[in-house]
Amino acid sequence: MRLLKYVARRLLVLPVQLLIVSLIVFVLVRQMPGDPTFLYTGPFATTDRVAEVRRQLGLDEPLHVQYVRYLDRIAHGDFGLSMRTSQPVVADIRQRLPGTMELILYSVVLSVAIGVPLGVYTAIRDKGILNRLVFLYGMTAGALPDFWFALIAIFLFFYTLDWLPGPMGRLDLMLAKPADITGLYTIDSLLTGNWAALASASAQLALPVLTLVFIYMSLVLKNTRSAMEDMLRSDFVLYARAAGLSRMMQWRYALRNAMPPVITVTGILTWFLLGGAVLVETVFAWGGLGQYAVQSVVNSDYAALQAVVLLSAVFTMAVFLVVDLAYFVIDPRIK
Amino acid sequence: MADLTLDLPRRTATTDFVAFARGRPGFLFGLAVVALSVLLAVFGPLIGPYPTETALPGQPLQPPSWRHPMGTDVSNMDILSRVIAAPRIDLTIALVSTAIAFVVGVLLGVVSGFFGGGRGVPRLMSEGIMRGADIIQAFPVFIFALALVGFRGPGTENVVAALAFLNVPYFLRITRGAVLQVRERPFVEAQRCAGNSELRIAFVHVMPNALTPPLANLSPTIGFSILLTSGLSFVGAGVPVPTPEWGSMIAIGASNMMTGQWWTALFPGLVLGLTILGYALVGDGLKEYLDPVNKR
Repeated sequence: MRLLKYVARRLLVLPVQLLIVSLIVFVLVRQMPGDPTFLYTGPFATTDRVAEVRRQLGLDEPLHVQYVRYLDRIAHGDFGLSMRTSQPVVADIRQRLPGTMELILYSVVLSVAIGVPLGVYTAIRDKGILNRLVFLYGMTAGALPDFWFALIAIFLFFYTLDWLPGPMGRLDLMLAKPADITGLYTIDSLLTGNWAALASASAQLALPVLTLVFIYMSLVLKNTRSAMEDMLRSDFVLYARAAGLSRMMQWRYALRNAMPPVITVTGILTWFLLGGAVLVETVFAWGGLGQYAVQSVVNSDYAALQAVVLLSAVFTMAVFLVVDLAYFVIDPRIK
Repeated sequence: MADLTLDLPRRTATTDFVAFARGRPGFLFGLAVVALSVLLAVFGPLIGPYPTETALPGQPLQPPSWRHPMGTDVSNMDILSRVIAAPRIDLTIALVSTAIAFVVGVLLGVVSGFFGGGRGVPRLMSEGIMRGADIIQAFPVFIFALALVGFRGPGTENVVAALAFLNVPYFLRITRGAVLQVRERPFVEAQRCAGNSELRIAFVHVMPNALTPPLANLSPTIGFSILLTSGLSFVGAGVPVPTPEWGSMIAIGASNMMTGQWWTALFPGLVLGLTILGYALVGDGLKEYLDPVNKR
């Protein structure tokens, strides 16, 4: 019941947040240099023509009217036309979002699957060679530029060893895309039994995911370790030890109580990866949302950029909403 | 009677710091990196063996050799000369943007921390500042940086403006946290009894006592700003191309990495990574040094 109430309250705040975010994006766009009218008319249009296009675009209206119009349009799912692809921005994004989601999904799952056990292990045993290696890794990984690491990985595993395919997008160019069910190639090809596409999609995923996991997993690892260390030092674990509980039970109690910070950091990781994916996608010609963002910046494709920024804010809110809900489920003290 | 003078070594701030740094190789390494990067920012473009923005005659893409220890790139520019010239632009952007973010963030942090929880206009201001910070941090950092630069057009000043804007909430929160603790101390009440105005207490008495946490975070923020700058330049939304900058050098070398000329991107990235690591380590060390509980 309290959970429902909490969710309802959070969902009520969401539109307000969205409204403010949209206002910021709107203001940012109005800040840009130049007059967008000329992008439509070309530089040699007559003054009449320019005035006409300006009226069509609604640019002759006062700012607050323009903002309301803009809200009305995005509420109806109309984000305008992309200057570069001449497609509706919504269609462009629908095409590219699954690629980014696939990248983030596998990176988050692997980071948690490797980072959490490793963090717990290094917290429990504070000596040994693995511990030193993990410490060194945690210190350096966060400092390395992800786009550079991606290039090094390509040089090693594609050029030198030839184990994995080169940075040519999400699927071998000779293969047809698997049937569109979820948009995630690996899952769609698995569902339809398209083994050739599955193999190719997995191979293409390997290097970008390796890059993202290597660079960003240290976040999960370090936070798990410090949360676990705090718990192992806490009074209740001391009490458990005094009461004669086995080491295994002590660790279980500590782990359960170390989970909330780990969930938070998983949320932060997901949020980080959306930004990190931008550069890594560019290196691997991934054709996802991140690369779309870069191309729209480089080509001054404002409608596209505006939509991507708005979407990334919505994504952020969704991620942290899920984190808060996970807290509710896992930590009985919040109830 | 015997002379009872005890010959203790003199303890000063300097000897304390040396004693602290001596046992911490990571911190020492970080200090060396920071010092070297500052030196290179000043002298880097002058001491390289070759010009930094012009192509050399002869074959491009030469592998590392005695003449070109880091090789040459696709337009036959000497990579070493460019790598050591790059701190000038990278560090300038990072330092200026971090300095702006620090000043604005600390001032806003003092206002929002000191007047938070009160009533009337100051409270509204405090709340407004925090909600503003929430909104800025609602966007993924790199995408927001990209968008800010995108909407204003590429160029060094716009990168500085974007990074400064993005780092304000960070310093704001750290300062606010410190102020919330400091304002509860008895000396603040004493100042109030002595007849100081609230504004004076906030900025003359509380702020100096709340500066340690934001100061300790200066160094890692500089490192992070260097990383963001190079990322923006890598995709062509930062420092324009011929200027020696680590991210854009990696971008120039990117396609060569796929055809085996590994030196083109390896060296700029390696130096970039070491620099960021150095600044992060200095930050870690300073946090420990400035925290009286940890200091031993």
